[in-house]
Amino acid sequence: MTVPPQFFKRDVIITCGTGGVGKTTLSAAMGIRAALEGRRVCVITIDPAKRLATSLGMKELGSEPQDLTERLRASASAQGLALPEKASFHALMPDTRSTFEEFFRRLTSSSVVLDQLIKNPLFQIFAREFSGTNEYMALQQLMKLYDSGQFDCIVLDTPPSRNTLDFLDAPKLLNQLFDANIIQWLIRPANKIAEATVKKALGLLEKLTGATFMHHMLEFARGLFEIRTGFSKQLNRVIELLSSDKTGVVLVTGAHADFAEELAHFRRHLLSHGLKLDALFVNRTLGAYPELSSENLTEAKMNPELSRSVELIQSLRTRETQALSRLKHATGDLPTTLMPELARDIHSIEDLIYVARQI
Amino acid sequence: MQTSTPQQTQCTPVAEILKRPVIFVSGKGGVGKTVVSQAIAQVFAQKGQRTLWVGFEDPTRKPGELLRIAKNLHYLNCEATTAFEEYMGLKLRIPGLAHLFTSNPVIKFLAKAGPGIHELVLLGKLWYERKNYDRIVADLPSTGYGLAMFQSIDNWAKMFQSGPLYKDAKAMIETFSSTREAGQLIVALPEEMPLQESLELGAYLQRIFPHNAPAYLINRRFPQLRAADSQETDPTRWSTPLAGNLLDFAQKRSLLEAHNSKIWNQAGVQYEDLDWELPGTAIQGVSAQLQKKGLL
Repeated sequence: MTVPPQFFKRDVIITCGTGGVGKTTLSAAMGIRAALEGRRVCVITIDPAKRLATSLGMKELGSEPQDLTERLRASASAQGLALPEKASFHALMPDTRSTFEEFFRRLTSSSVVLDQLIKNPLFQIFAREFSGTNEYMALQQLMKLYDSGQFDCIVLDTPPSRNTLDFLDAPKLLNQLFDANIIQWLIRPANKIAEATVKKALGLLEKLTGATFMHHMLEFARGLFEIRTGFSKQLNRVIELLSSDKTGVVLVTGAHADFAEELAHFRRHLLSHGLKLDALFVNRTLGAYPELSSENLTEAKMNPELSRSVELIQSLRTRETQALSRLKHATGDLPTTLMPELARDIHSIEDLIYVARQI
Repeated sequence: MQTSTPQQTQCTPVAEILKRPVIFVSGKGGVGKTVVSQAIAQVFAQKGQRTLWVGFEDPTRKPGELLRIAKNLHYLNCEATTAFEEYMGLKLRIPGLAHLFTSNPVIKFLAKAGPGIHELVLLGKLWYERKNYDRIVADLPSTGYGLAMFQSIDNWAKMFQSGPLYKDAKAMIETFSSTREAGQLIVALPEEMPLQESLELGAYLQRIFPHNAPAYLINRRFPQLRAADSQETDPTRWSTPLAGNLLDFAQKRSLLEAHNSKIWNQAGVQYEDLDWELPGTAIQGVSAQLQKKGLL
């Protein structure tokens, strides 16, 4: 069993990819694999569907790292594997909302500003829905765990949305917002706005949205303005860690050519921000199993039901092979690992070890 | 080892949902929403109904592009920036002014970073288009993002307490809540986690549209095989989640699907299912299956 180098090379492994392909489960399996190699691992997931908890055989995961080392040790030994003494295995699922508030709390010294901000209805929706809030908060957790020195391998499972990588553009977006010109339009009292077109645009906006909204929006903008310096500093630290050699990205996808476009987009985006791409994992493939033997095929011919299954499997395999070359091409021929399609869902650490051993 | 059982949910029969003017096809990534939605749209068009099949922000197509793909059948690549300008043009009634407005950096920033504006605009476009077609079949983005679209209308109705945007958001909720006007079709795969998540999606949608229950369609069923006498039929008791080889996979897959169907039946979830179509002819195949089952 050879071990892919990213399990030793990087302190932080980010899994990034298309949704619905078992990325969360695979991230957990990667964490387990790294732990089996003796590393001190923590897996972070942002996933309201609680997939990680389910696949670890638990009801839920807390927002603090939960120590699963002994459970992993017991399950591994049931499969005849020894977990190295120095290894550890933790998992957590940060609660976005409380992390977000805590985050703002740390950034502002004025409790009046903070209270006003947290009560603002726009902030409340922002905290929940702002494209990328989940990602920012995952990154805050990542920094906290990294700084703790408790782990030497942190696996971050990014949410499977097309906005996943928005956080990389956040500094630019924030600079745009805090760019004196824009922010001053928003926070200056209306009578001081000199520029006619701006006045006109804001007037139109008010006409469209109503006065209450405008009031909330201006209050919100002022609140953000207060915390901007701290926010940018935090963000820059994270970006620095992500673009250093300490961090590697693993792309995860399903064996379907449709994903090629999205992967290529991820790749371009990641590379343009200086992140390092380590590997491509194609999950849930039939190609990870050996081809049907001639005995299998003979057996299938005698049974009409089975022959329909075999016909389906063969045509899916053919499609997979074609998809694979497109996926590889789209990701610049990264080292590729095929993971097998499973016969049933994952329900326990034992199950995850079976998957981890396939890596 | 724990397995989750679905809670009692309200459902609408698939055939009932497919009678409605606007059909939202939703579900997790990779469950076949695009094929299913196109197959449905195609049947409507063949029956002579003017049909719009809507995709959202397909990066391989031009933003906002409208294509005629067959008789009575159009495809719209719904995209936020183009839809936003159109919408502002409608609201402000002066196209040039709309551009000035939408190119304003403050507005641009808000449209990009603001909570749900993007999603609201996409749904708004679809909402406007419904007047121009007999049928609209929307291929919604995968679960999280698709949900955000509906959540966004709700958010906006709460955020603005007056003004034209408020009125529009309200009217959209009303349209999409009405069982005469719109329906939700949730596509799932016959695996445990996807099934569970499709029920969670259904429950979420019902919080936004309490009187308009979704329908469930289970896609891509493997050919059913009889279990060998010695075979354990309860998948949760198999020692490993892996299959021994591809024939074993086919056998186990069939048992897994039977097991999951049983759980859904016991929980009283109504659903229809579709056999796995071979790649290449899937759209025609799904159209044919839906018609054969009398769902269209």
